[in-house]
Amino acid sequence: MGKSVIALLGVCFAQSALLAYADEGFPQAVVAENLSELDYIGEVPKVLTVSRLSQPLSDAPSAVTIIDRETIRAAGIVDLPEIFRLVPGMYVGTNAGYIYNTNHVVSYHGMESAYAGAMQILINGRSVYNPLFGGVNWSELPIAVADIERIEVIRGPNAASYGANAFSSVINIITQTPSETLGNRVIATHGDGRNEAFYSHGGKVDGLNYRVTAGYKEDEGLDNRNDFKRTRMLNAQADFQINNENSIELEFGLAQGARGDGNINEDPVLFLPHTRQMSNHYELIRWRHQISDTSDFSLQAYHNYDRSDDQVTSANLRPVFRQLVFDNVFTTLTNQLNARIRAGTVSIASIPTRRAAIPVTANAQADAAAASLVNDTVTVNKQVEIERYDIEAQHNFAIGKQFRVVWGGSARQDQMYSPFYLGEDKIDYFNLQRVFGHVEWQAHEKLTLNAGAMIEHNDFTGTDTSPRASINIKLWPNHTVRLGISTALRTPSYLDEQFNTRVIIPRTPPNLNLLQQFQANKGNVNPERIISRELAYLGNVGRLNMDVRLFHDTINDNIRTRSRDDFVTPAGFLLLNPDDVVSGLNRGGAETAGVETQLKWRATDQTQLLFNYSRVNIWETVNGLQRNFEKSMPAHTISALLTHRFNSFWDGSVAYYQTSSTTQLGDGDPVDLNRRCDVRLARAFKAGRVSGEVSTVVENVFNTQNQEFADYNTLGRRARVNLKLDF
Amino acid sequence: MMRLLHTLYSLFSRTYQAIAVLALLGFLPSAALAYTGVTLVMSAPTIVNTEFVDAFKEEIAAQRIPLKIKVIDLQEVGQLQVAENSELVIALGVKALEAASKLKTSTPVIGVYTPLPVYNKLLQQSKRDVGNFSAVVLEQPYTRQFNLIKTILPDAGAIGVLLGLTSSQYAEQIKDEADTKAINLHIENVNQGRELMDKLKQILYKYDALLAIPDPDIYNRETVQPILLTSYRHQKPVFGFSKAYVQAGALAAVYSTTKQLAKQTAEIAVDAQAVRTALPFPQAPKYFSVALNSQVARSLNIKLNDEELIHSKLLQLEVADEESRH
Repeated sequence: MGKSVIALLGVCFAQSALLAYADEGFPQAVVAENLSELDYIGEVPKVLTVSRLSQPLSDAPSAVTIIDRETIRAAGIVDLPEIFRLVPGMYVGTNAGYIYNTNHVVSYHGMESAYAGAMQILINGRSVYNPLFGGVNWSELPIAVADIERIEVIRGPNAASYGANAFSSVINIITQTPSETLGNRVIATHGDGRNEAFYSHGGKVDGLNYRVTAGYKEDEGLDNRNDFKRTRMLNAQADFQINNENSIELEFGLAQGARGDGNINEDPVLFLPHTRQMSNHYELIRWRHQISDTSDFSLQAYHNYDRSDDQVTSANLRPVFRQLVFDNVFTTLTNQLNARIRAGTVSIASIPTRRAAIPVTANAQADAAAASLVNDTVTVNKQVEIERYDIEAQHNFAIGKQFRVVWGGSARQDQMYSPFYLGEDKIDYFNLQRVFGHVEWQAHEKLTLNAGAMIEHNDFTGTDTSPRASINIKLWPNHTVRLGISTALRTPSYLDEQFNTRVIIPRTPPNLNLLQQFQANKGNVNPERIISRELAYLGNVGRLNMDVRLFHDTINDNIRTRSRDDFVTPAGFLLLNPDDVVSGLNRGGAETAGVETQLKWRATDQTQLLFNYSRVNIWETVNGLQRNFEKSMPAHTISALLTHRFNSFWDGSVAYYQTSSTTQLGDGDPVDLNRRCDVRLARAFKAGRVSGEVSTVVENVFNTQNQEFADYNTLGRRARVNLKLDF
Repeated sequence: MMRLLHTLYSLFSRTYQAIAVLALLGFLPSAALAYTGVTLVMSAPTIVNTEFVDAFKEEIAAQRIPLKIKVIDLQEVGQLQVAENSELVIALGVKALEAASKLKTSTPVIGVYTPLPVYNKLLQQSKRDVGNFSAVVLEQPYTRQFNLIKTILPDAGAIGVLLGLTSSQYAEQIKDEADTKAINLHIENVNQGRELMDKLKQILYKYDALLAIPDPDIYNRETVQPILLTSYRHQKPVFGFSKAYVQAGALAAVYSTTKQLAKQTAEIAVDAQAVRTALPFPQAPKYFSVALNSQVARSLNIKLNDEELIHSKLLQLEVADEESRH
């Protein structure tokens, strides 16, 4: 042996020494080049800072549904809002809308229209809430579903942490950090009315990690609806670690494309089916600074830009206007004649002649009216340009092991240019400032108290405060009861506060120009107010995870759109629709109560079941609500996702969604009980450097032809195939 | 491949037996060591190294042993030169040990702040004997780490480990020691950097915690963020290997402070001088501390005792382990 003793592989550990001597055939141990003591004891940047560490659900002040990547994958969705069907209390409806928004309706606990505006939606801390109509144009977000790491849905108001508009709930979308996504990824989807392709590349240059995702989406929409969507998108994210205490995060996104807008069934005259071009982009920068092990600070600023080029030319107005005038004159003259006949002020012999003269007069006046129009058609430019500048500072820290505190402030300016909707050819500025704070106190190992508040000032409604508080009691390990109360405000959107939407049809003088006045807001709308109380139970028994929540919400000063009887027609105009000029205003109140259940059962390591059920009752408490408020949320909603892994290659899932009958507000129609079942089957493969997955999804397997949101959204069976390659 | 010797020895009680075995096999240098001074060689005058020097001096002073202590900063001298034979060389850091390994083979060298693979490599390259080329390596004993996991997560089912090209050579040893501790351990080998996240996710999906075994291809400044973030998102704790890793977001680690390493090294220096015999085997840190991240524990809903309490529990377990081995 002698010199051939070449390898000492072991080390004397505190209690043992392992020596392995070998002859010359023993392979030499691999030791990384430049392996240094710093690989063991060197400083590393702090990753899980206080601000990144969320409270465990058993300490959190609100009900939270977490949807992770795996769930998103198993649900087999292509449209992001579809995933919210897996949140108890959420209503999701496919909607081939026809004004500005041909997107899904996503609302929580009802009382919402197609432009559901009572939710706060954040993507990596950036608000994508649209201040014009309220809500979110989901399909226009420059985000690829495959880049999403997780989604946290906070069920119930949370203005204290997320500001006004965190009224009914908060959706927090978090994408994968670039350092998690190195390499290349290609995703392609083909199916009924649907084609998509995405390419993503993640890399690093020195201390900078980045990811760029480019994609194209084609959605033909529903049959018989002008709701196609074609979207090109680009998204880039980068993290730069300056040193152990400081890092910078950068984001950029861009989406452009065409949207089908207008629908012949809803409007055969003015807003005919046409194509709207949308484009948007955003830029975000965030500085994270680690003050100490238990204290960190972040400063973020972002800019959103949204543009919609939307010009539409009406049908030929002359025959329409002619018919309108003819009907009007004919009815008026006929009624006058009938009245004179009943009064006996006209000779019986002259009646046939007088009757025969009516259409002649009506025709003559109708012809004159038609001829009085300056043009055959009218072209309306509904261009919208919205910009948002937002800056926010946040300081998170812990005091001992018992207290965690977050506080901060933000300032925002929204710039709105929309001559058509706002009725003025200039930019409107909306400013908002916030200060917020939240304290978590673990008073005892069985007791956690949370309290917080936000003070917000904005140009529409002035200054308001939204406080919240909750107590979490851990009765036994794995069994927690939470009692909470939370308040929030919903600031009116431009639709509620400042719309002055009209179409003017010019006529030759001395005829009065025609005026079709849609929304004529009086302004001074107060914020809608909610007080939410809850009693919740969170528990783990074996492999079963339970979240049951009883809630009782009081909503006041509901913001509604109502006809106004005090609209004064401006001089020089003839108002075409005196009976349906509307304005946003506060009217009525409601209470909502019910139960939400969320069960996660990991039956085996290969099989998991997610089951959600919610029962929501709405009743009017203050008279004045319009239409079907009490039916604006399905009383019962069920959703379930069963996933199973057959082996390391094959996995499959079945999703089931059920909503009882509902009548959504706004453009919503009564729709019946809806049942849908989706099936997904996937096979993973590996070929050299490439790993991938082929999957197929059949949506609505039983082809139920159900309707969602409105009677024009009829959904049948749809299938698609998806290919994903990582290399 | 022929393994001639593959035996477990207890450090404290059996080191000398082991040396006896080695002596029988003829591995030991023929001449007994005799030195009057110690030279501390620093790879660079880093805070850690200078702290070590101070702590080492204090330890020696406390023991009232008349040892001359000389300090050399490798960055300042071009080539390492010491009074051969008359000194014990303590090399702080990889670079220092590399330089020291090139000294005359009769000069006794102890490496500190040395990863075990580096020590092994240098032992091989320098063709020195273990008897005069020893180390207090950076790796904590696996059993100590398993004891930590069991103390913090008594109900943990299975633990995952990622091994890279450097650390994969210890797979068998890790597995064996996990077996003796009745820990259900699963190893994923990461052969290429781009496999890392997939393998990590497989572990996080299936197992209850990740035990980080140092490997520069797996745990480095650039991967610390994705590893800790992804683990956190899977709500799975990471057991780290350094205080820095715990501060970054690992749940807990056993580690040795500069003072503790200096104390151990000083003990070796003093003993070796007194006995005038060969250096002991390369050894793992004897004295250690426990680092915990209470914020992470809180967020993962894991109940943690005080560091002190866990530390004393680990000491008890090590005593028990020792006894059970006898």
